[in-house]
Amino acid sequence: MPTQRQDLDPQWAWQTYTPDEARPWTLKWAGHLYRRAAFAANWSQLQQALKEGPVKTVDRLLQGSGEQQAFAAQMDALAASIAKTNNATHMRAWWLACLIRTPHPLLEKMTLFWHNHFATSNAKVNNVAYMLQQNQTLRRFALGSFADMLHAISKDPAMMVWLDTNLNKKGKPNENYARELMELFSLGIGNYTEQDIREAARAFTGWEIRNGQFHFNRAEHDDGDKTVFGRTGRWQGEDVVRFCLEHPACPRFLARKLFRYFVSETLEPPAELLEPLAQQLRKSNYAIGETVRMILTSNIFYSPQAYRGRIKSPVEFAVGLIRALEGQPNAVALANALDNIGQRLFYPPSVKGWDGGPAWLNPTTLLARNNLAHALTSGEDPQFGSRCDPVRLVGKYGRQNDEQILDFFLDLFLQGDVGVESRHRLADYLRQSEHFRWPAYWSEQDRREHRIRALCYLVLSQPEYQLD
Amino acid sequence: MLNRRQFLQTSLVGSSLVALQGFGPGFLARTALAAPTADSPGAKDTILVVIQLTGGNDGLNTVVPFKDPLYGKYRPTLKLPEAQLRKINDELALHPSMTGLAELLQDGALCIVQGVGYPNPSQSHFRSMDIWHAASTKEHLSEGWLGKALHRLPSASAFHVAMPNEPNWLALQGGPFKVPALTSLDDLQFRLPAATSADQRAQREVVENAVKRPADNPLLNFVQQTALNTYENTRRLREIGRNYQPKFPYPQNGLGNRLRLVAQLIEANLGARIYYVSLDGFDTHASQANTHANLLLELSSAVTAFFRDMAARGHRDRLLVMTFSEFGRRVQENGSRGTDHGTAAPMFLIGGRVRPGIVGEHPSLEKLEFGNLKHHTDFRQVYAAVLEKWLGIPSAPILDGTFQPLDIFRS
Repeated sequence: MPTQRQDLDPQWAWQTYTPDEARPWTLKWAGHLYRRAAFAANWSQLQQALKEGPVKTVDRLLQGSGEQQAFAAQMDALAASIAKTNNATHMRAWWLACLIRTPHPLLEKMTLFWHNHFATSNAKVNNVAYMLQQNQTLRRFALGSFADMLHAISKDPAMMVWLDTNLNKKGKPNENYARELMELFSLGIGNYTEQDIREAARAFTGWEIRNGQFHFNRAEHDDGDKTVFGRTGRWQGEDVVRFCLEHPACPRFLARKLFRYFVSETLEPPAELLEPLAQQLRKSNYAIGETVRMILTSNIFYSPQAYRGRIKSPVEFAVGLIRALEGQPNAVALANALDNIGQRLFYPPSVKGWDGGPAWLNPTTLLARNNLAHALTSGEDPQFGSRCDPVRLVGKYGRQNDEQILDFFLDLFLQGDVGVESRHRLADYLRQSEHFRWPAYWSEQDRREHRIRALCYLVLSQPEYQLD
Repeated sequence: MLNRRQFLQTSLVGSSLVALQGFGPGFLARTALAAPTADSPGAKDTILVVIQLTGGNDGLNTVVPFKDPLYGKYRPTLKLPEAQLRKINDELALHPSMTGLAELLQDGALCIVQGVGYPNPSQSHFRSMDIWHAASTKEHLSEGWLGKALHRLPSASAFHVAMPNEPNWLALQGGPFKVPALTSLDDLQFRLPAATSADQRAQREVVENAVKRPADNPLLNFVQQTALNTYENTRRLREIGRNYQPKFPYPQNGLGNRLRLVAQLIEANLGARIYYVSLDGFDTHASQANTHANLLLELSSAVTAFFRDMAARGHRDRLLVMTFSEFGRRVQENGSRGTDHGTAAPMFLIGGRVRPGIVGEHPSLEKLEFGNLKHHTDFRQVYAAVLEKWLGIPSAPILDGTFQPLDIFRS
């Protein structure tokens, strides 16, 4: 076992993890990788990852599968028709359908990261076409260049409405976008002055939306000298974005956010630990895919500090569960259920996004999570039916007796990593329930299927399942 | 059953992660944090129950200026006969349906604020409702006054006790968490895939025992602690659902049922300080008399039962019920024995600590504005009083400006 100090040694932390006897590549780590990079693995993905090892699996996750292009074309066409109807519920269901069915889950996982980073809410934008356009932009750059993305998002119509760029006029500057660009999108508080923001806001004057697209209105642009980060010139918005990207705080800021998303929410990483990650961002000119590869193959990613060091977001909880069960539930019903658990896609609570971590969980949301797991797997819910049926899955993978079925669910959802007492209690339930007096009209098959579904629910209600 | 404080203590014992609970937007059982401590300044456990009268309540036939000759002139068919009215004083009376509220007035538990509205009133249901909900007349409204209030009540939760398919009102939006909408106590229970009661017991045991042993991982401990609170709360709610005997009979109507559910939630001490319920049907454009009488009967009987039940359980002085509607109705009745959309109207405040009686004059029937009553009290003055004097939080950031709190509480 690596010691605490070794884990936090920056050089060791970011070297590529090579499985050995002390730290073998096991089901536990395959499940961990799939949870963080792909919401969750289904059974065959777990087995394949176990066989191929970390590096090859990460490659595959970064690459996506060959079906991605056809899938994207199909979802784009669907998005275009939803944009025409301006139906926000369908928009939320659309993204959930992408998340559940995508052949490239890491791309969606990163799109979700950027949705939280550039948190824009349709509560103010009130335009489904704009929101979908932004979502496609985030996806286009999700594993690409953050530098290109920051330029693109600055001219994104949904963002321009959300942060009032379109109201920013010469002589009447609106500082909203300039401030959040620095505070939340690239540098973090403490790395700029109020003067920088005021001057930067002037550089963005004249940025407008015309016919649903970015338009530069020279007449409304203040083309006087501005001083931003000590550099004086007749700067335009693009210059300010470039200065932010060149600012030494930017790669550090981004490295910290990526660390929290992929590695740990509980470990507050010291600056030295993040430095190699920031360097990678700097020297690659913000190539996100390469940076994500560095994280997902690193020693620290496969360390006790990272393991179960996050709380699943509602989307991660639901999408992971559904992907593991190879289900295809009604996405509109799912979108509504997620509202009650605290994550309404396309409606983050503020420009800071969702707080995440322990803030996701309280007695009401925990109750709603468990009730969603029940609705999805029990076959009794009028909206979800049995489109996520554990019985079908057990049959597909040929599990026969109680013991095999218990091991299957524990391995699938928790990679077998629960306390021995929990396992006993689950096994006890199976033993006891063999002798329950079931309704007289139930067939042998009814009894068997009921016990499988109940067991699946009981495994999902284990507290470990809330952790990512 | 444990009392409130005992529960708080037991649920905290051995928990090293109580501090983490503070991160969470709690609703159901931020119980621990919601416990009032009399010696900490600003800490209170007062409760606000907002009743929305949807559709635009006819204020003129709710609080009636029966002595004003113009009243009969404007309401040739809808005028309420003087003999049946519940007199407040020599000039004003409550609608004949409102026996219960008339009694609460006698008991010193009803405050009536007259002539409430806002400048340049909108007569669109949706726009005007949004203005009341957001406490703002800005063009774009996306956050509600109660949602914003919840940000400043970090330990409190809220419930919307709703009718099926009732919208998620703007008033409750923009808070630190989504205010849960309930239609029954079952909405706060675990749904287990159990087929028989033995099956249910066995499953519940597996679920609840899984969180009892402290874990090494602090995050896992946090999940377990949250789960323990949840299980404890659902257990108490099951007991209350089974054993709740109202101390005063509730009427058999929709609002009565919803307020009975609010009473059960209050009795369960879940740390909620804001409850929201609504009563629909006030858009009485035609044949108003019977409809309106029935609605006011439902309102008055339900609120009276609720208040008396709560008072008998010791909540009299921590309870405030506030009614509002998006607007009043036109002074001159229309040709269909109904009334069209209007403006200013009265609000009711019920509770053990309200200043009983009438606040403000009845708006003049002489000086109308486009046929509508002119408001003299901004609804945000009522909100300001509720926020500052009742919930104990500053009102200016929530109301988008400074409003003088109206004098509606006993000093």
